[in-house]
Amino acid sequence: MLLAALLCYVGFTALCLSMSRHYADLLGGSLSTGRSRGLKAIGWGALLLSLWVAMASLSIGQALVQWFAALMSSAVLLVFVMPYWPRLALSLAGIGALLVPVAACLQLLA
Amino acid sequence: MAWLHTWAGLVFGWLLFAIFLTGTLSYFKNEISQWTQPEIVPHKVTAADSVNRAQHWLQDNAGDAKRWFIILPDERSPQLGVSWIPAKGRFQDKTLDSLTGAPVQARESMGGEFFYRFHFQLQMPYPWGRWLASIAAMVMFVALISGIITHKKIFKEFFTFRPRKGQRTWLDGHNAVAVLVLPFHLMITYSSLVIFMTMVMPVSILTTYGTDTRAFFDDLFPAFKTTAPAAERAPLAAIAPMFDVAADKWPGSRIGLITVNNPGSANASVTLARHGADQIPHEPGTALMFDGVTGALKEQSTMNAASLLLAGGIYGLHMGHFAGPLLRWLYFLAGIGGTAMIATGLVIWLGKRKLKHARAGVLPFELRLVEMLNVASMSGLMLAVVSFFWANRLLPVSLTGRSDWEVKVFFYVWGAALLHAFVRVFFRDGRSAWREQLCLAAFLYCTLPVLDMATAGSYLWASLKQGYMTLAALDLTALATGIFLAWGAMRFRGEKNVVIASTSSALPEAR
Amino acid sequence: MEAASVSNLSSEKRPKPGKRGAAVSPRWRLAVASRVAAAVIGGYLLASLSSICLAQLLPLPRAEAVVLSMTLSFLVYLPAVLWCFACRTAWRAWWGLLLPSAVLGAVYATARWLL
Repeated sequence: MLLAALLCYVGFTALCLSMSRHYADLLGGSLSTGRSRGLKAIGWGALLLSLWVAMASLSIGQALVQWFAALMSSAVLLVFVMPYWPRLALSLAGIGALLVPVAACLQLLA
Repeated sequence: MAWLHTWAGLVFGWLLFAIFLTGTLSYFKNEISQWTQPEIVPHKVTAADSVNRAQHWLQDNAGDAKRWFIILPDERSPQLGVSWIPAKGRFQDKTLDSLTGAPVQARESMGGEFFYRFHFQLQMPYPWGRWLASIAAMVMFVALISGIITHKKIFKEFFTFRPRKGQRTWLDGHNAVAVLVLPFHLMITYSSLVIFMTMVMPVSILTTYGTDTRAFFDDLFPAFKTTAPAAERAPLAAIAPMFDVAADKWPGSRIGLITVNNPGSANASVTLARHGADQIPHEPGTALMFDGVTGALKEQSTMNAASLLLAGGIYGLHMGHFAGPLLRWLYFLAGIGGTAMIATGLVIWLGKRKLKHARAGVLPFELRLVEMLNVASMSGLMLAVVSFFWANRLLPVSLTGRSDWEVKVFFYVWGAALLHAFVRVFFRDGRSAWREQLCLAAFLYCTLPVLDMATAGSYLWASLKQGYMTLAALDLTALATGIFLAWGAMRFRGEKNVVIASTSSALPEAR
Repeated sequence: MEAASVSNLSSEKRPKPGKRGAAVSPRWRLAVASRVAAAVIGGYLLASLSSICLAQLLPLPRAEAVVLSMTLSFLVYLPAVLWCFACRTAWRAWWGLLLPSAVLGAVYATARWLL
């Protein structure tokens, strides 16, 4: 579930950045349509991947419960950290993205 | 639709806040009970030994009962619970020490069960409390969906939270805890309706089964049918060996409820049900029935009908029995989110209308009434909750009816908070009501750990030495709550004109 | 945000918001009370009848059909309540619930005495 949770957070951050208002607040500068679409694709992709990953390792009932828990937790974390510590919110996404392969290995080995 | 959301939310908001707060506490009801009865210490005992001790005690003390119930200790509840329906008279229960098999000597307290029962029975006589709670649940459902429909910018403002902007912040906060935790809110609300559906929506039972509702419940729970005792007597077989059969039929599952029907009779039977924490759905239909005299397995029923698993799954999601420590904390936090959603809604309702009257300086009667109810139902309830814990530590252990006294303290404090809110809101202002109650609550929560150490410190240190963190965790959670309430109280510092200055800056953005 | 929802209720002559001192007309109050009554009573009636019909018609053993029908009934109650506050007049709120209820009642009666 660690991998799924990381992917949720990364996915939500990408979706958040795909909106020009948040992009401007977090990264500064304006958001081109191409980049926005790309970020949306990454965002949704990460969320769907996290669901698939969750289902792969647990029974369907447990997988759905834990995935929703990860989904809600990561969204709340992002939305409440962002206005106070925007760089932290982004760094967490960056670290999360870097840890994804590590978590993937751990899940495959378990 | 917005009209529906705001008015349904207001009228039922105070009640729903109470239900959500006590329901959220209920996710840790076992842990709260450990704190309120610290005399009951966890022991490492096998299930077989526990049930043997329970069986011996029941044999000696309730040998002529119609039914016995045994609940084994687990990692969240150290007690061995036995209860029975006597030949004559009402249901009785006792808590046994799992190591000695003798009744525990612990202070009488409802513990976490108080908050659990309150959140669906509201301290009202049966069945009125449940009906009111169910009506509140339906209104909650309507409020949630109407809120979603009204929130036109739900996707655009999904990630939006703008602090330090007065009314706008409150609305952002309300939207954030509502939308981001929406799957939980929808689940908890719908499941609460399903849990009482046989009470609130019984018509299809009546049209299908007529007046023979017993047949309906027997169809659902075949293993729990009751039969009259046979005239012949026969000694009850040992229950512990039945666990081996259960381990074979249910690999990886622990035993939950053990029911003995007609103990001591020739047609005695023993029903084993799985521990609630081992699967998500609530499966009362999955049970093993044993002959009470020979100890042989008579019947194995497995609830595998899709519709029953759906209802059972919905029930199980609400209860969260299956949740391990991390998931349980997330359940708790989600519940806090729901409680915050209701709280922010109530504050916004009043705040918006207060802005319209800011120039006049005096609030009309209805708004003062709302303010009083807001204060009493929110900070007042927080005071009542902490008072329950204070009463638990301060009331003499040997006081008769001390369990009832703890509950009385809860309600007296809540009543006093209402009175205080009335006096302050109608004779001074709402700010002082909030400030004073939040200050007192902050003090009581922050000092609860100190009280615990002073009055029950020996239990606390003993539990920590054994590696059990529950008592300390509750103290620390109380401290964290106190700090949060202190922060809240600070925001009501200062005089009224300061309020107007800061809220008027929000006026251009207020809707 | 307020405008869209006020419009259907304002068809029953609610004074514009912000008009201080103007009392809300008794006619408006009656209309709202009527909608609430329709939602509570009519909604419950519709949900109950849909539950009865479902329990009768589902090709499942009795207990299972009943359980499923009860579980799903709230999915009928909810839109019924929303309808009462989204439709244009309080009368429509009632008709919108009583008519389908009558239809479901007829369906149930037919199924019960035919099957």
